[in-house]
Amino acid sequence: MSVLDELVAGALEDQRAREQSVSLDDVRKAALAAPAPIDATRWLKRADGIPVIAEIKRASPSKGHLSDIPDPAALAREYERGGASAISVLTEGRRFLGSLDDLDKVRAAVHIPVLRKDFIVTDYQIFEARAHGADLVLLIVAALDDEQLRHLLGLAHELKMTVLVETHTREEIERAIAAGVKVIGINARNLKNLKVDVNKYAELAANLPDDVIRVAESGVFGAVEVEDYGRAGADAVLVGEGVATADDHELAVERLVKAGARVKASETTPLSEHHGPYWGQFGGRYVPEALITALDELERVYDEAKADPEFHKEFMTLQQRYVGRPSPLTEAPRFSKLVSDKTGLDARIFLKREDLNHTGAHKINNALGQALLVKRMGKTRVIAETGAGQHGVATATVCAMLGLKCRIYMGQIDARRQALNVARMRMLGAEVVEVTLGDKILKDAINEALRDWVTNVKDTHYLLGTVAGPHPFPEMVRDFQKIIGEEAKQQLRDWYGIDHPDAVCACVGGGSNAIGVMNAFLDDERVNLYGYEAGGNGPESGRHAIRFAPGTGQLGMFQGAKSYLLETDEGQTLDTYSISAGLDYASVGPEHAWLKDIGRVNYSWATDEEAMNAFRDLSQTEGIIPAIESSHAVAGAYKAAADLKAKGYDKAVMIVNISGRGDKDMATAGKWFGYLTDDQAAALDVTGAHGNAVA
Amino acid sequence: MTNEATTPSGQPLGISHKPSQTEAMFTKLKADNKPAFIGYLPYGFPDPDTSLDALRTMVEHGVDAVEIGLPYSDPVMDGPVIQAASQIALHNGETIRRVFEAVETVANAGGVPLIMSYWNLIYHYGVERFAADFENAGGAGLITPDLIPDEAGEWIEASDRHGLDRIFLVSPDSADERLDVVSRNARGFVYAAARMGVTGERATIDASPEVLVERTRKAGAANVCVGIGVSTPEQGAKVGSYADGVIVGSALVHTLLNDDSRTAKDASEGLRDLAAKTESLAAGIHGAR
Repeated sequence: MSVLDELVAGALEDQRAREQSVSLDDVRKAALAAPAPIDATRWLKRADGIPVIAEIKRASPSKGHLSDIPDPAALAREYERGGASAISVLTEGRRFLGSLDDLDKVRAAVHIPVLRKDFIVTDYQIFEARAHGADLVLLIVAALDDEQLRHLLGLAHELKMTVLVETHTREEIERAIAAGVKVIGINARNLKNLKVDVNKYAELAANLPDDVIRVAESGVFGAVEVEDYGRAGADAVLVGEGVATADDHELAVERLVKAGARVKASETTPLSEHHGPYWGQFGGRYVPEALITALDELERVYDEAKADPEFHKEFMTLQQRYVGRPSPLTEAPRFSKLVSDKTGLDARIFLKREDLNHTGAHKINNALGQALLVKRMGKTRVIAETGAGQHGVATATVCAMLGLKCRIYMGQIDARRQALNVARMRMLGAEVVEVTLGDKILKDAINEALRDWVTNVKDTHYLLGTVAGPHPFPEMVRDFQKIIGEEAKQQLRDWYGIDHPDAVCACVGGGSNAIGVMNAFLDDERVNLYGYEAGGNGPESGRHAIRFAPGTGQLGMFQGAKSYLLETDEGQTLDTYSISAGLDYASVGPEHAWLKDIGRVNYSWATDEEAMNAFRDLSQTEGIIPAIESSHAVAGAYKAAADLKAKGYDKAVMIVNISGRGDKDMATAGKWFGYLTDDQAAALDVTGAHGNAVA
Repeated sequence: MTNEATTPSGQPLGISHKPSQTEAMFTKLKADNKPAFIGYLPYGFPDPDTSLDALRTMVEHGVDAVEIGLPYSDPVMDGPVIQAASQIALHNGETIRRVFEAVETVANAGGVPLIMSYWNLIYHYGVERFAADFENAGGAGLITPDLIPDEAGEWIEASDRHGLDRIFLVSPDSADERLDVVSRNARGFVYAAARMGVTGERATIDASPEVLVERTRKAGAANVCVGIGVSTPEQGAKVGSYADGVIVGSALVHTLLNDDSRTAKDASEGLRDLAAKTESLAAGIHGAR
């Protein structure tokens, strides 16, 4: 006899004993006379959360004694206060130590649906459940034949109860569907080792009718399982031990409810309007508690500003009269021909000219937006990090314009190879601090800026330069940069009469220019999106900044957010390398990590050599010298064209984002292509004037 | 799924109701009207073997609980002294796998072993795996400088299963609502930062930590310890007069560094200085009331 057979036999015997004192007829009458049940289906599925069915559970055959629960009504009330959507009451007495008395007490204590969980095989038990106030009953497919299942399901539905139908296999699920199930419980425990297997859950739950509510029934203990099941598509979860044995039952349920809400919020669409803190499993706030107050304030002020037409007006006026927006969308026919000749795709390429903005890159869009927020917050001091110097220059510029005190952190190595940008920032009135700690590059500048912020958060704003870091930065920086794509979309229509591009290409370091140009197209499936990381000497060389290719980045938390990260097998951050200082970063914005995981954006990379060739190609075909960062997107245009061709496109309209201009990179390019004499190159090295040293 | 821990019969582990080692320590010290002295040292600094000697030295000379730091490449909550020590440790071959030896060393010496780690190291090692190994080594709890309770779902679950303390931080400008979130989710004690900023020695300590300790207690925390910037016996005595524990880091780490603050001293000289500094701090802190 199996455990289930034994439990069913016991339950049946106990029911017959009860029938001796209360007849079937009486229990039926009591059921019909009971106050109407709550429609539990309305409690077990919601767009903004994963309902929790919390169980009153004293013991189980597999785990033995769990908790005494002397006062089930009090426990049920704690569950309800914690946010439970339903209470499950085990009424089996032999092995689970429950009773109908528990059910009565719980029913009287709470206002949410109550489930009678027992080994139900007879009409009597169904009537009994209803008579005792249950809104839901459990039926176990494995304990019933098809006819019994259909009959008991029908009877419970007649009594206006909801039925949770428990299944363990695909075959049982098929039987449940055939019987007319509305709420299906899926038990995904691996019977070999009793562990919960979310993959098994996903397998079992595949292809269920849309109107069936899916309840993950096994092994839910804490936030981890709620998140896993939620991401696998479960509508609700049932949890027993994890809440029944907790020290603080209310808090235990609350944590599960919050975890469920977080999963739902992290996957909302449309993609272009998605809100932080979570982008799928990425993002969040992995920062010291000391920064939370400042981040909360920033979020609040930003939300207010976003809803304030005056703020928009000021921002857009400055964008037009100070930055010089809109930046043009330039058709590139001679470059298009190069790409077409090489790939066989009839490509028509347009360049979004962020290089023509004041200060020569897209960075000013965000610097301007955040600086206006600084004024709104009443703060007086701005700090920022910079790698190549573009964001530092943009920040120093807007601070000069608005009269804000400004300090820029820059790794010592970067400061030496971008000496002219250091002078530029100082000319604009900013204080430039060379960071001599750690590896002395961008990430160390960010660390030092974070330390400054933790210390001076009262009067200081950290003007982060990309769509990374803790919430609300990824969302806020996206919003300030999305103007790039919005303009491009409009210009393509108005200037060129083209409804939509077939592809958009951008380079991805932290990812702000890419998010900026892609946002307007995220929800338009006709537009193929391509992001190019800094390939350095190639993925196998170990000298690169590729986070997304197999064998490169891993999931991790870095500088405030969960994302992909280049790290050692100890979890220490790896050194990165790229000819482009602006793409040379160990992690990547959380939205990109999400867009990669859901397959919306195709991420690949361009090596130093590919980027430099593209730098030359665009310069010599169009008279436009792109930043080396942007040259990765230009190099990507060849790859994207080849991909489109492989997908069956014969011709395609492509937008390439030229995120910045290449003047700052002329020393690097001069050396790379041998345009400088040895004396000239040596002179640049001696003065450390500008440009990356090229190995 | 991360739930790797099972009972002998193969069932997933339930909630451990094992009493908190840290709370037991506070109870004992409170009976003598004494605050706890919690000393910090990065594991692997200046090298793995010497760091075990150093941890033992601290316990033998008066530290009640040891905050064993896990060196990290990007320690945003730490000032120059601990940054330098972490870099030296990483350079000298520190690995997270061996930190459990440090935990055992502290436990064997009679101290309460805590680990302080930036979250990515634990996440990368595997949260459940870390909790299991830490429990097996006799560990008491984990201090998480860049993990707030709101992001700590996986850690709360693992620490519940393994009976480990969760020590979150609060800071002087934390809103009441934040103190509430931290106090509700903490186990063992709450770590109150004496000032806004990163770790490091300071000549003076102002009154704000006392206010913060009061506010945090009001939010429901049973034990509140103060750290960041406490470096002398006098400061320790002052803070110990109102806090349940006093946390000292940089001042202890400093004793093992040369005057340049970037290189490690000769080991025997360093350990001697560490012992002396620990004793003087212990006298100040334990004699606070």
